[in-house]
Amino acid sequence: MSLESTKKLDVDDILTDLAHYRPKRKGWHWREAHPNGKQEGSYQYEEISKPLSQSVPLPAGRYFDHIDPQPQEIITAEIASGRFEDDIRRMRMAAWHGADHIMVIRTLGQSHFDGLIEGTPEGTGGVPITRKEVRATRKALDLIEEEVGRPINFHSYVSGIAGPEVAVLFAEEGVNGAHQDPQYNVLYRGINPIRSFVDAAVAKTLMASADILQIDGAHNANASSKVAWKVMPELLVQHAINSAFSVRVGMDKSLISLSTVPPMTSPSPSFRLNFVYALTIRELFKEFRFRAQMNTRYIESDLFDATRIHVLDAVLSRLTQADIQSTITPDEGRNVPWHINSIRGVETAKHTLVAMDGMKKYIGPKTEVLKDEMRDLKIRAILYMEDILENGGYFEAVEKGFFVDSGYFPERNGDGITRKKDGELGAGTVVPRETDYYAPVCHHYGYNALPPGVERACDPIGGCTLDHPEKIQFVDELDENDNVDVRRATVRESESKGMLKPEVEWKNDGIIQLDITIPDNPDIAEAAALEIANRLGLEEPTVISKTILHPAEATYVEIKARVPFFVDRSALRLPEKNVTLSEEEITRYVHENPLRVVAGTVGNDEHSVGIREILDIKHGGIEKFGIKYTYLGTSVPVEKMIDAAIETNSKAILCSMIITHNDVHIEEMRKIHQLCIEKGVRDRLLLIAGGTQIKNETAVQAGMDAGFGRGTKGIDVASFIVKTFQRKKAGD
Amino acid sequence: MKTDQFEKRKLELSCLTDEELNRKFWELSEKIVDPLVKLAYENTSPSIERSVLLRMGFNSLEAKGFVDKCFERGLLGKGAGHVVLKVSEALKRDYLAIGREMAEGKHWEIAEKLLKGVNVG
Repeated sequence: MSLESTKKLDVDDILTDLAHYRPKRKGWHWREAHPNGKQEGSYQYEEISKPLSQSVPLPAGRYFDHIDPQPQEIITAEIASGRFEDDIRRMRMAAWHGADHIMVIRTLGQSHFDGLIEGTPEGTGGVPITRKEVRATRKALDLIEEEVGRPINFHSYVSGIAGPEVAVLFAEEGVNGAHQDPQYNVLYRGINPIRSFVDAAVAKTLMASADILQIDGAHNANASSKVAWKVMPELLVQHAINSAFSVRVGMDKSLISLSTVPPMTSPSPSFRLNFVYALTIRELFKEFRFRAQMNTRYIESDLFDATRIHVLDAVLSRLTQADIQSTITPDEGRNVPWHINSIRGVETAKHTLVAMDGMKKYIGPKTEVLKDEMRDLKIRAILYMEDILENGGYFEAVEKGFFVDSGYFPERNGDGITRKKDGELGAGTVVPRETDYYAPVCHHYGYNALPPGVERACDPIGGCTLDHPEKIQFVDELDENDNVDVRRATVRESESKGMLKPEVEWKNDGIIQLDITIPDNPDIAEAAALEIANRLGLEEPTVISKTILHPAEATYVEIKARVPFFVDRSALRLPEKNVTLSEEEITRYVHENPLRVVAGTVGNDEHSVGIREILDIKHGGIEKFGIKYTYLGTSVPVEKMIDAAIETNSKAILCSMIITHNDVHIEEMRKIHQLCIEKGVRDRLLLIAGGTQIKNETAVQAGMDAGFGRGTKGIDVASFIVKTFQRKKAGD
Repeated sequence: MKTDQFEKRKLELSCLTDEELNRKFWELSEKIVDPLVKLAYENTSPSIERSVLLRMGFNSLEAKGFVDKCFERGLLGKGAGHVVLKVSEALKRDYLAIGREMAEGKHWEIAEKLLKGVNVG
């Protein structure tokens, strides 16, 4: 089974024979070195990795021979729709844009589920992590990674009250990365502190056995605190506790990654604060890895604001160090993580990191200036830890509300999170191992009294599942109503009939977004926008973002709503694709019938990139086929274009028109057509317009012979010219 | 920590070099985690024991049933895998079959007798 780029991923195929599927590989995979001296296209890079075999380059890639350089950093896409069958399609999209770390968020409440969940129930804000869902996802990723030519790391969470079991599941099923930090359980999930640490040791040992990369949870303090920068000393302490604990129970430092977030954002002078913090943490934890997360603490529902924050966060990664650059959908602030925004997040990271390739060669921190601030931060963290020890240790510090307090240490505002050592969920469930305690399995942390004569703990059972995967039992569905088959049944029919609905996260969700500017105050604008959506026949319209352009003049409103109907794929009428002549045919014709054209950007228009691409041999332009051209530059008056065509005995005029405000381009087209008639040269000159907004129909209506829009290549134009002259000749 | 105390200690620490500060940071981290590591080494939990049963080839439903009963009977400290092996040895039957039956409530008196020396019957 393999994927074809022109075919959809078949969810039913993925679900077939899952009971016997085994992952193709296990363990974390870092990006590989670039094989070609780091040369992509005509550019030399410092910090890129092995390219993908298939991908979608950045939007501007078309101007650079469609190169798609991949930074050295792993790029994360977080996926949280609640339906794994839709998630796996999103994963494919993300992989094609350069994500190789797929972080699957768990459903709300799974951390309080005392055991493993089975089957494929629908989740809220993420999927329930079950064996079937994990296996199906890994199977899909095994195919996707072959399709893009780069291993993809599958990641989820070993947290909650069933950590050790989830760790077994992940080690068995080829999950490659996981969040694991007992402090996260304690502080944010209200799970008994003792249980959290005892469980964590076993979970971490299991993760280490399968080379699963660990990401910690300290960044949540940042997202939870009232003022993010004030927890900076605490963040260092939290990272240290989890890192030290992990190493002590057998994890390798190279597979421990700190989850670090630039704490602040604009309008605070954030870069300065974030930079000092980023350098300090990287100096203290230099033997560990860094997963740079985007700031979410201050994300609002404005996509552009989120993107600006994320660009600056990635600048910080490039200036310091990041082994993994995480992304968050910029619509996190609306709690609606959509396909497009997930991809935008990945593109933002890729764009920023590639743009700043090799930056550190020229720009670096002024260490003398920064030294005092970095030392101050370290000293605060050190004294924070002394304070913990003097108060009786970690559990006592948690009881006293040391963590996520809004004061800047040593200041304490008494609003930290408090958890009782002997309280919270799962209290009283930890049991001392007796002297004859025995666990007949491998990779088990802690005291284990092997029976006399037993060398390996799992010998008496003939090996455990980690070495003998055939021993793993596959549990299928437990709920006959809440499972993937029931959900698939509702979409399979429309799928088989080729019926289409818009989609933001789930097949057939029907959701679209409308961008509306209403010239009124925010309250009126919101009501008006909803009324418009209703009158358009859309269902459940909801305002998802508002931007005040002026308190009285105008408000920009974004609405999401459902489209209630399907579109029949087979009934769609597609415009006929222009079939071009072959390169050889064009070249032969031009060789036998020499052709010259004049070209330029007409009117008051300074855009020249597009027309150069159509002309230049380097970009596969018309020059390649032997067509000679005279390039007149930008903002050329139409009279000059025509005169130059007459003077050079050209056969065509290529007018580039990018500016289309008030239909100025239509005016220009009419004018040049008219002037050619007046000068008596219209019959012998082909008039061709081109530009991103140009359509053939409107160009022809305005008197041109043809119009070429976005995505046009030199061969399209050359082919049109040659075909027209061939036709004329045949007509003669 | 009081502010004056903080200022005093900060001054003391300011004599340390960067390397010494880094070392101090890690020494203190170790001190904080020492008792946590010891705690983890010496204890177990229902989730840990279910993870043992999973690795032995039980499914999650069987593991849950088994561990709940093992905990109720005060046998978790022996190790759930240990308990099932002991009973299967005594009954000379496959441990997976025995474990499934124990998850449904059977054979626990044998387990208590074998592991606690208690003769329930």
